[in-house]
Amino acid sequence: MRSLIPEFEALRARFPAGFASSLVLPCLRRIQEERGYVADEDVEELAAFLGVPAIQIEEVLTFYTQFRRRPVGRWHLQLCRNVSCSMRGGERLIEHLERRLGVRPGETTADGRFTLSTVECLGSCGTAPAMMVNERYVESLSAEAVDALLEELR
Amino acid sequence: MTEIVINDRTIDAQPGQTVLEAALANGIFVPTFCWHPKLSVAGNCRMCLVEVEGRGLDIACNMPVTKGMRVLTDSPEVKAHRKAMLQFITLNHPVDCGICDKAGECRLQDYHYAYNGEPSLSVEPKVRSTKYYNLSSRILLDNERCILCLRCTRFTHEVSKSMALGIEHRGDTSVIRPVADRPLGEDPYSDNIIDLCPVGALQSRQFLHKTRVWYLKPTPSVCPGCARGCTIQVWHRKAEWRVKALDPAQNNAIARVTPLENPAVNGPWICNKGRDLARLLERQRATEPMLRGAPTSLEGALERARELIGAARHPVALVSSWGSNEELEAFRRHLGAVFTSFVKCDAVAEPGERIEDQLLIRADKNPNTAAAEALFGRAEAQLPEGTDLVLVWGEGFDFARLPRGARVLFLNAYLQPENGHADVFLPITIHTERAGHFTNFQGVVSAFQPCFEPPRGAAHAEALFAALAAPARVHA
Repeated sequence: MRSLIPEFEALRARFPAGFASSLVLPCLRRIQEERGYVADEDVEELAAFLGVPAIQIEEVLTFYTQFRRRPVGRWHLQLCRNVSCSMRGGERLIEHLERRLGVRPGETTADGRFTLSTVECLGSCGTAPAMMVNERYVESLSAEAVDALLEELR
Repeated sequence: MTEIVINDRTIDAQPGQTVLEAALANGIFVPTFCWHPKLSVAGNCRMCLVEVEGRGLDIACNMPVTKGMRVLTDSPEVKAHRKAMLQFITLNHPVDCGICDKAGECRLQDYHYAYNGEPSLSVEPKVRSTKYYNLSSRILLDNERCILCLRCTRFTHEVSKSMALGIEHRGDTSVIRPVADRPLGEDPYSDNIIDLCPVGALQSRQFLHKTRVWYLKPTPSVCPGCARGCTIQVWHRKAEWRVKALDPAQNNAIARVTPLENPAVNGPWICNKGRDLARLLERQRATEPMLRGAPTSLEGALERARELIGAARHPVALVSSWGSNEELEAFRRHLGAVFTSFVKCDAVAEPGERIEDQLLIRADKNPNTAAAEALFGRAEAQLPEGTDLVLVWGEGFDFARLPRGARVLFLNAYLQPENGHADVFLPITIHTERAGHFTNFQGVVSAFQPCFEPPRGAAHAEALFAALAAPARVHA
């Protein structure tokens, strides 16, 4: 987190005094972008930097499921399991990926290349079923499209 | 003054008051879970819903009074919504009152019977969560019973300032959790959250499954733990529930200690030391008068003590700062002219105990130093050579400081090795065994009532002082 401190200082200057707790969310986002996840030491350091109780940072981290406390693989596959995607075959895609990768949702392949996750609505119902690969959207999926994607990423 | 109408009653509310505060101040009851007079408004339990004519339903705890507003606290609509709110609140509550320590003094239980009274409408299985979560060495958390009112988290953020608790996750998986770097165990006020909890989620380990609350009686008392003198309730078994089959010690034991709200001294809080009074007071008691370690009768001991007092030319008395106002006055009246008297510091902070803070805890760990010093002065105790009799009343005196050849008259409540070395030893009662008053460091006088019978053999110090001055019959 230390390398981000100049950036956080600039961010803090944009907020009125006494609003340190409002900085928790943007700071955590940057930490996750840099490291790939939020480590325990990041929580301690951010609490010390902002002067907010550590419990407040834990509250934010656990409230938003998008925050990760553990490293993920090279490619983070986040499959939507909400209504529209499920109706268009999303559940079958999850099973298909489980078989192809040999991991359950929440797990990472032994080679560290893929992490499989299931998420709630990605806001892409019009092109369901949808998945996020790291920050990129992959839409209108089918088993064949998923296989092709895995080949491409492997 | 802002005039508002609640249930057809015209009320003068203070500007800036909320409708809830105005209603409660005028004796109109509105049920609440999350609202507490000494905490910020959270507004999450929705129990205090009231109807404002022309504006519909809203929560009273967060509604400022406005001139001419007409409020209904018990309209059919309010009742219907209150009932619905209780359905929500009990949606995932296990309703395990039969094994819950809070049963009998639980808001959820009371309000359920008063405003709902129906089984859950939900057919979904209840959300399972952590039982017996270890919050600290003093407190257990049952997340299934928790209704997420956030009283406990607000207490640690706003009153005790330990910031130890927060809420993790969201929705029906939300749980109260402590954070590793600010352990709740280091918060000397942590046990207040057990009283604050409106349900049975926060449980005292000391009190866990010990007894049902309806077997207990609270006796108003004063905490002797420091010079603050917080008013407390000492809970002990009711006389009609003293059961022979129990260990007799249980019938005469402190079951728990809770604060007794007193705006002049402690507000609604006490510190954890006050909760541990049993450890402080229920030590082994001295019950036999002794002459140099040989048991004797009370009459014999008093006779010998009067001889020693009569023969002494330079007697010094070390007066207890745990004595009540009445006892101190009795000492001054009967023996004040005979002895050169100094106030003794009976108790000092234990290792690890918080010495002093801004909230309640005072550095002087004796309850009645103020009254004792008003009668006997603030001078440091002097035991010059030539002192031939020392009267020690209470604990905390280092007997190595005794001048050579001085006789010792010792009044003490607890078993202590020094008891047997005194020329005359007299066992006395403790403050849970008599009525009296303590004066705290601010000069506020608080009364305490007897909770227990004194052990056979222990006499009230007040009576002993009179008997030491002149022969009289003392009942022990």
